[in-house]
Amino acid sequence: MVSSPPLPPAIPLDAGFVHWGFVNLSVPNIIVIVAMLVVFVLALVVPFPQDRP
Amino acid sequence: MAGRVVTPDSHAFPTRRYDLVKEFVTALVVMALLVVVFAAAVGSPDEKAITMKSWAANAPFDVVATATSELAGTSTTAGYGPPYNRASDGQALGPITLQKWFGVTHPVNAATDLVINPVSTLSDSATQAAVAQWKQASADQQSTWANNYANALGKVSDGDPAKVATGDYGPVPVIAAGELTLAKGGSLDGLLTTSSTFYGTDPTNALLLLADGSYMANIANAENLSGDQWGMMNESGHYPGQPWLWLYTFWYQIPPFSTSDNADVQVMALMMLLSLVFAFVPWIPGLNKIPHGLKLYRLVWRNWYAQHPEAVTATQTTPTRV
Repeated sequence: MVSSPPLPPAIPLDAGFVHWGFVNLSVPNIIVIVAMLVVFVLALVVPFPQDRP
Repeated sequence: MAGRVVTPDSHAFPTRRYDLVKEFVTALVVMALLVVVFAAAVGSPDEKAITMKSWAANAPFDVVATATSELAGTSTTAGYGPPYNRASDGQALGPITLQKWFGVTHPVNAATDLVINPVSTLSDSATQAAVAQWKQASADQQSTWANNYANALGKVSDGDPAKVATGDYGPVPVIAAGELTLAKGGSLDGLLTTSSTFYGTDPTNALLLLADGSYMANIANAENLSGDQWGMMNESGHYPGQPWLWLYTFWYQIPPFSTSDNADVQVMALMMLLSLVFAFVPWIPGLNKIPHGLKLYRLVWRNWYAQHPEAVTATQTTPTRV
């Protein structure tokens, strides 16, 4: 098997990855994960709407 | 009876009007608009599918090497086992051999189905003679020819068949070149796509051949989509992928799974076990006390606890019961 045939010319390369030990996370995924954590914290701390009469 | 707490009838509670249909319709419209806007602005890139033609155009020598490995019986497909053949038992979890149990449900003869049958549709006399010579040879002879050619290709730095030294290759070079001719012409996809029903098409053979080569794997690696790159979580290009699959793909990165031949079945079994644990958390001693330790419920219901300080004192002094 040929070890490294050329890639097609128009291949979109990655969006940037964060390597930490064996952890390999894409920046877009990190943004989504952080957004989910923010929503979770907001759901905990934002006060419930007060009952209307 | 003094001290007894009586729960009032639900009709005695105060009520207020609430339009559930309005909430449902509002949520539906807002979410539909968000989906349309985000799909248009940052939707998945939907890259063009890899075809045999693009493979042949960008990595022709890989097509030849892959066809040769199919003929030699050394490709992944040729040695995969069920559901394609009986070359091995497939993955096992101890005595549990799921692949073997389900058997060969989609028989694929790598040499015949992926190379010989398509190439035999070429009408030129040299290819026809090569296919006839292949079919008349013994299995041992076929294996010798194909392995000789595969080894010779491996000795050429860029895999160029034109640079291969002369040797005992039988009809293999002509057949492998025929596969490349079909791929370049764009007809190999169709020849490898079978149809078992009137409307359905089955691209299994085409995908198997593509996966046996290096071309698709190299593209996957370049886009961080391979299994050992947390690829299950990733999307091609500059887009978020499936971060909720982090735990599933996590196991593939660490031993013993990262070095196991049975990683797929092991990870599947582990995730099934963890899913059961998660479903039964309320009944598992120790785990079911985590909410009492975290006390997140105090944060959620902080207004109520502010008005009932005695409840806080009670939970601090009373041993937790489940």
